[in-house]
Amino acid sequence: MGLFILQETPVGYALLKAKSSKILKQDGFSPEDETAEGICNLLKLKDFQKFDSAATALEQTAALVEGKVTPRLTGLLDSIKDEKKGLLAVADPKLASAINKLPQLSLKLISDNTTSDLYRAIRNHLPSLIPGLLPQDISTMSLGLSHSLSRHKLKFSPDKVDTMIIQAIALLDDLDKELNTYAMRVKEWYGWHFPEMGRILNDNLAYARVILAMGMRTSAANADLAEILPEEIETAVKAAAEISMGTEITTEDLDNIQALAEQVVSFSEYRSQLSGYLSARMAAIAPNLTALVGDLVGARLIAHAGSLMNLAKSPASTIQILGAEKALFRALKTKHDTPKYGLIYHASLIGQATGKNKGKIARMLATKATLGLRVDALADWSQEGEGKGDMITEEEKSALGVDNRLKLERRLASLEGKPLKSKGVAIAPNGVSFTPGKLEVKEARKYNPDADGLAGDEPAAAVPVSKRPSEDKINGVKLIEEVSEEPASKKSKKDKKAKVQAIKPIEEVVQDAMDEDMESSGEEEQESSDEEMEDNEEEPESSSPARAGATESKTNGATKASAKEADEISETISTVSVDTPDSPPSPAQQEINWQSSISGNTKVAKKARKEERHARRLALSEEKSRVKEKKREKLARRLDRKERRQKKAEQIERREERDDEKFGGLAEQAGLTISRYKRKLERGEIMFGPDGKPVAISKKEIKKARKAAEKAATSNGDAGSSKKRKRDDEALEAVGKSEKKKKKHHKVKD
Amino acid sequence: MAYTPRGRGGDRGRGGDRGGFRGGSRGGQGGARGGRGGFGDRGGRGGGRGAPRGRGAPRGGRGGVRGGAKGGAKTIIEPYTRFPGVFLARGKEDMLVTKNLTPGESVYGEKRISVESSSIDKSITNGDATPATKTEYRVWNPFRSKLAAGILGGLDEIFIKPGAKVLYLGAASGTSVSHVADIVGPTGTVFAVEFSHRSGRDLINMATHRTNVIPIVEDARHPLKYRMLVSMVDTIFADVAQPDQARIVGINAHMYLKVGGGVVVSIKANCIDSTAPAEQVFAREVQKMKEERIKPFEQVTLEPFERDHCIVTGKYVRSMT
Repeated sequence: MGLFILQETPVGYALLKAKSSKILKQDGFSPEDETAEGICNLLKLKDFQKFDSAATALEQTAALVEGKVTPRLTGLLDSIKDEKKGLLAVADPKLASAINKLPQLSLKLISDNTTSDLYRAIRNHLPSLIPGLLPQDISTMSLGLSHSLSRHKLKFSPDKVDTMIIQAIALLDDLDKELNTYAMRVKEWYGWHFPEMGRILNDNLAYARVILAMGMRTSAANADLAEILPEEIETAVKAAAEISMGTEITTEDLDNIQALAEQVVSFSEYRSQLSGYLSARMAAIAPNLTALVGDLVGARLIAHAGSLMNLAKSPASTIQILGAEKALFRALKTKHDTPKYGLIYHASLIGQATGKNKGKIARMLATKATLGLRVDALADWSQEGEGKGDMITEEEKSALGVDNRLKLERRLASLEGKPLKSKGVAIAPNGVSFTPGKLEVKEARKYNPDADGLAGDEPAAAVPVSKRPSEDKINGVKLIEEVSEEPASKKSKKDKKAKVQAIKPIEEVVQDAMDEDMESSGEEEQESSDEEMEDNEEEPESSSPARAGATESKTNGATKASAKEADEISETISTVSVDTPDSPPSPAQQEINWQSSISGNTKVAKKARKEERHARRLALSEEKSRVKEKKREKLARRLDRKERRQKKAEQIERREERDDEKFGGLAEQAGLTISRYKRKLERGEIMFGPDGKPVAISKKEIKKARKAAEKAATSNGDAGSSKKRKRDDEALEAVGKSEKKKKKHHKVKD
Repeated sequence: MAYTPRGRGGDRGRGGDRGGFRGGSRGGQGGARGGRGGFGDRGGRGGGRGAPRGRGAPRGGRGGVRGGAKGGAKTIIEPYTRFPGVFLARGKEDMLVTKNLTPGESVYGEKRISVESSSIDKSITNGDATPATKTEYRVWNPFRSKLAAGILGGLDEIFIKPGAKVLYLGAASGTSVSHVADIVGPTGTVFAVEFSHRSGRDLINMATHRTNVIPIVEDARHPLKYRMLVSMVDTIFADVAQPDQARIVGINAHMYLKVGGGVVVSIKANCIDSTAPAEQVFAREVQKMKEERIKPFEQVTLEPFERDHCIVTGKYVRSMT
């Protein structure tokens, strides 16, 4: 049985014939066979097909690397087609299977690791095996071939399309940054001339356009701004121009400002054009991904993974936290909770979710996006594939993504307890399923590059591992404390209260549909309010008759409680408030984060920056003092209330004293202490004799009387009494419950 | 030994006047001449040292440790005792250098030192009559090259010497490859494998000037794909920073490494397992290499230059026993 060996060299194909196929069986070569002579004895060159030029060499090797059989190779193999029995050793299994498909060849192919020793030996002594081939030839050919092959590879790489997306999204980010700095500079510069306009116009582009159209503010009256601004703003600008307090500038100054404004305008135009290009590219390359997460987030994901194919190869869990690597590895190292989302956070679906649902939706979105991605990257829509060739429409390509998006939306709605949309809603009257592009308008504008901290500078949004209520409660309590310590949260209490009110009805509606954790959080609220009530009961130290006086303080306490509750709710709703870009940072944070819009290292710039900072500090301190004043007022009010309460308590005491005087004698007559006498009197257990002498009725007598009454009642019918008893039971139970809760609470506090 | 690698405080400080491009911005990917694209993970350390200079930026006719014409005169080049082909430049501060294969060119903006008719040259060429030939050396920055860091870290053997054939896995932009090519000289060959297209571009550019470098833009996980380009090699150097790098080295060794050939693997602990302590990761990798029939020789950490990195060297013993 003969053994043929195919060996590819940079110079050409070599077909070797072994003296016997036994050399495959033995493991390793004996030392004498390892030498050049030894191997030459074992193997004989059967045929050698030289590449006639560098171009052919490139073409042949490129095909070989992909595992394709070229006509030239077929020609070589034709020379052994008469061999009926025998083996053909091929290094690459892929190439071997391709050769196996050749109809004319009847040899058995082997390409497993039994040939590895053989190939090592051949590689070692290639020049001596192929007569007429010098080592220098091989090295020069391999050098030339390697260069041309690498160049060929770079030139015809199939994943080139998504590099365009990667570059475009990177440029878009850069443009946003630049545009912002330029626009700020325009405002700052022109602000010297017309400071009022900055307050009227918030839009950077409109500001720049107005500068171009208007020029000096003196010419505002006869400038036509109708195309740029709505009417009421236009009139406001014109009115402000009349009474502006800005400095005068020369036309030369204005020219320069206008040149900058022109830049801003053209940049903005370019940006919108670029984002249009990006959207079109994304819709063409990854329609399903785009349907699910939007084109910007999709492009960022692709850019992060390096290519669409790389992204498609990664699992959903990776896609979910892509962009939060730093947080992930930190969490893994410190054995903390891993982040819930990375770049995907900016997808509109996640933006719609609240609280814990954000993490859930991120997970679901990642899984669906992964499915969509695989379709995008690997589906073969061509005629040869399972697709329909050119007949396929864009809708069909993105069908999976759109479907999944609708599913996710419905799931989100059910999680959030919002009314479910009927299924037909997603289909427009013309029967075309409506694309979710409408929902993504927000995100493009809202994208906040600082929040890209995805890069990992911010604390990871962690998934709570355990869902035990007690631990949750601990967190809750802690959070309350933290929040109440923060001065900034005070001013927003009112809004939060409003939020609570808005949230509560929803909770009630979906109480049954809600999952456990939401319920537990509801319980928490109740508990915390319970605790507050108890505190209030302890607060006034007067005895039971003083209750009436305490009502006022109680209502006050109740508002406090609800405020606290509000804090808690807001915390449970957005556990990751750090991540949310729209949560207002505290003033202190603002101060830290604040960066002067004036850049540059010149003296003037520095001075300007200093001034700016000074102004800012002034403003901040003003705000602070305002907050302080508010606090003081509140404190004063509280003090006032306290005083009144005290007065009332005193009054009650006085009344009691009076009572003592009044009842002292009577109690003595009845043979009771004053307090006992009073209690009995209230209960109506004191009878006054005809001489005005009070007589206490003992408990035994009362019981007797009650029994008698009951007997009478049973004859009337059981219904009433049983009902009553039930109600009593309920009351008892309620008391027990509250006590239990109290206990629990104490435990937690401990 | 003439050179105690770690005892010298000067190693760290001397970079002040040297062009480094380690500003740490990955932005290099965008720029046409952005320097080391795709190596952001190494950036940051030693960043901001020296003035950033584009790679291959024109440095005028006269490179090297300048400070005027006298700069060259003060520097003495002597061979590094352990490794032929590696030299030591002794001047105000000591530097690791290699003999430039393409005089007059620097690959990534590194400094060059020209020495006129050095004594070493005479000893090597046995006192050839050619008068006053200029020899140029390129400075090898241990902060940028793990092999250089390993040499300064005290490796006993790098298996890379003049005339050797080296399979270099993870060639990146070809900065370290150029020094390896300097060491092996015109009689040796370096097969430089790099998968990334972006870095591969720079690698090819570098290789066009050095004919002993064979650039291969392929995945080192599939050594069969470059079977027609690579011959049997004496050494495999791997700096692939992949979780399965021991396996990658193994399959390449099974195909291309001579029996008894050297293996030099640079290991970044974080790339293999970021949760386990570095020593444990190294030990595990060494174990995996043993399973791939590589007999470990020594292990050196790259501590002053890189954090949680080490170089493991070994010999390929193909037989199972």
